[in-house]
Amino acid sequence: MNAKASKNQLTSIEPAYYEAVTEAIRKEAVKILKEETVVGVVGYLPGRRKGTATPALVTSVEEAEKLIFSPACVNNLSVYLTKAKKGVLKQGKVGIVAKGCDMRALAGLMTESQLQREDLFIIGVVCPGVYGFGVERTGTLTEANIARKCRECTVHMPEGADVAAGTHAELADLTPEEAEEMARIEAMPQAERWAFWKEHFSRCIRCMACRQVCPFCYCEQCLCDKNRPQAVESSPRPAGNMAWHLVRAMHLAGRCGGCAECERVCPMDIPLNLLNRRMAKELKELYDYEAGLAPVEKGPLNQYKEDDDQSFIK
Amino acid sequence: MHDFEPKIVAFVCTWCTYAGADLAGTSRMQYPPNVRVLKFPCTGRIDPVFILRAFQKGADGVLVSGCHPGDCHYMAGNFHARRRFAAFRALLDFIGVDLNRLQFSWVSAAEGGKWVEVVTDLTERVRTMGPMPEFKELEHEELWSTFAEATAGKSTGLNITADKSQVLNTPGLKEAYDSIS
Ligand code: SF4
Ligand code: SF4
Ligand code: SF4
Ligand code: SF4
Repeated sequence: MNAKASKNQLTSIEPAYYEAVTEAIRKEAVKILKEETVVGVVGYLPGRRKGTATPALVTSVEEAEKLIFSPACVNNLSVYLTKAKKGVLKQGKVGIVAKGCDMRALAGLMTESQLQREDLFIIGVVCPGVYGFGVERTGTLTEANIARKCRECTVHMPEGADVAAGTHAELADLTPEEAEEMARIEAMPQAERWAFWKEHFSRCIRCMACRQVCPFCYCEQCLCDKNRPQAVESSPRPAGNMAWHLVRAMHLAGRCGGCAECERVCPMDIPLNLLNRRMAKELKELYDYEAGLAPVEKGPLNQYKEDDDQSFIK
Repeated sequence: MHDFEPKIVAFVCTWCTYAGADLAGTSRMQYPPNVRVLKFPCTGRIDPVFILRAFQKGADGVLVSGCHPGDCHYMAGNFHARRRFAAFRALLDFIGVDLNRLQFSWVSAAEGGKWVEVVTDLTERVRTMGPMPEFKELEHEELWSTFAEATAGKSTGLNITADKSQVLNTPGLKEAYDSIS
């Protein structure tokens, strides 16, 4: 499939596109299950309410025929291979449905030796975008209901998958909201930046949903849990919240694939992906590193060059 | 503000900067007594969370110092630290922390004079900047809620939602509050 040649510039993505992707996913999932290439496929099933989707591990052909792809398929499924479903990979090779941004997480997890490529069969989705939160779910994806992260997506076309479901389709000329917001914050006087984040962080209830949903927060014991000595206060109070957010952003720097799942699940609407994006931008500028679709040997903070910038060191 | 004495916390590696500071001491060089030195095996061991902790616990300035590139006792600890600190600085800046309060340096075991210079510069710079209020305010609010919890249900007649002015106007409690903050 030639991505560039078939590139459509659209103002909305009709349900028909998602139906075509759904068909392709089903066909592939059924095939690899029948051929016993995999023991199961992690994908999406229709949710209980109309216009929703729910992650699922399907192990039979009948179930595989119910898999879907729609703008409601927001979840990054790679997290099911690391934590909650740790047993999944023990059974044998698994299939996984992955959008471009989820593929970045898979590549990152391979970089960190959490996953092996040969243990996976990746059904890549040529993804035009998914719903944002609190939007009208009409079945048609438009500028009005697309997720913030999708507005400046660079990975619509997943590379390195075993198969790709769909052809290229992209909404035309979307304003990059996050980039603009980031520039706005960067331009603020320092005290205003502090006030901005202090206000956001003060609302954090430390539910840890952002950590739970992140494929890279797989640590068996988080620095921010109860520890001795207690480096980061674990209750939702001002100093501990600030520390938690700085630790999280720092630990994800150079690893985060930008799936924005952390931000999506945050019940307090804290703009976590702005921090992720800021750190990604910094590491790009400093070390020319970008979380990509292919595993690399080492992330930017696990390696060095002798001539790295040290203008800030006296 | 004229008699403000900055609190400076220095995280140093044991092999180069600590030895350098020691040299400054044994050579009887004079430098501001504002610095508290904490010794680590390597700059690579200095987690950004330590820097945060220092600010939270009242530091007005933080110094992180280790061996010059190429001189690391463990070969590459300082190279790794250099990348990590570059990223951490960017994060702090984005959050709104004044980076003038955070100094990184390379000071070798032979550079007693450079140690004196770095510590003096940072101390004087922070002195003109005044106290660092940001993290302390957060910590204060945190201690405040600890205090409210500690006194909740006790015979103070207050509950956890009591507002601060109520506590501070209650005889005996202001002293107790001050003693923990
Ligand atoms: S960021 Fe890109 S790949 Fe991810 S959901 Fe949005 S459009 Fe799809
Ligand atoms: S915040 Fe850091 S320590 Fe905690 S789980 Fe995530 S990566 Fe691990
Ligand atoms: S930090 Fe957030 S955006 Fe980055 S990988 Fe984790 S969940 Fe996704
Ligand atoms: S999901 Fe939101 S409220 Fe919950 S811990 Fe994360 S940032 Fe805080």
